[in-house]
Amino acid sequence: MFTSAKSASIVSISTLLLIHSCYSAYEHSLISIGAKNSLPLDVTIETLVSVFLLCVGIVLNNSQELKPISWSVWSGQLERERGSGPYGYLEERLGFLDIRTKRAEFAKWAESNE
Amino acid sequence: MTTAAEERELLLNPVVPENVLHNTKTVTDIRSLTGSLFGVAAGILGLESYWGFIFYLVGSCVVSAFMVALNTGGRPERYFRGKSEIWTTEVVSGSSMAGFILTWTLFFGLLRV
Repeated sequence: MFTSAKSASIVSISTLLLIHSCYSAYEHSLISIGAKNSLPLDVTIETLVSVFLLCVGIVLNNSQELKPISWSVWSGQLERERGSGPYGYLEERLGFLDIRTKRAEFAKWAESNE
Repeated sequence: MTTAAEERELLLNPVVPENVLHNTKTVTDIRSLTGSLFGVAAGILGLESYWGFIFYLVGSCVVSAFMVALNTGGRPERYFRGKSEIWTTEVVSGSSMAGFILTWTLFFGLLRV
């Protein structure tokens, strides 16, 4: 799988290509006044290649980010990764309270306040 | 699909609304970024009238194919409500098309007029 460093390098290289082709088209428009729509072939190819690579880079930057929408798939994935699904709080509740200890503690506290 | 069948399907396989929103937002982000990018390219190439829109539609199809292949691993129905949703979301409506026209006209004007 592509790492984010690879996609970042794709994005930066193709951005440079796009800027270069844009500047080339601008320079070409300066020297060819009057001639309509006569972009050189290499500039055209450079533009198309840079846009294609940029699309790949942008899509790769966002890969691994989609989450499955089905409840069963999603909770299964959460349980495998984190150990507890979306309803994990229901499974980690306390059992019974030890009411006698609590009562004894309360009695001690009430006595100490008197 | 009729409404009853749809409801039955939703009861059998419930859907996580937050994940649907999250996935749609990811696709929208990619679409608006690439939309303005296609605008830059169309402006540099000097495309006019229908050719610009054809370029945009072709480019959107390419981006959708990338998303299907790279983001969903070839299974868009796992992340979206329908199989065609990833191909159509935000293509002709919303900020993507507007961004395309904005940068298209901007770069066309900067480079040619």
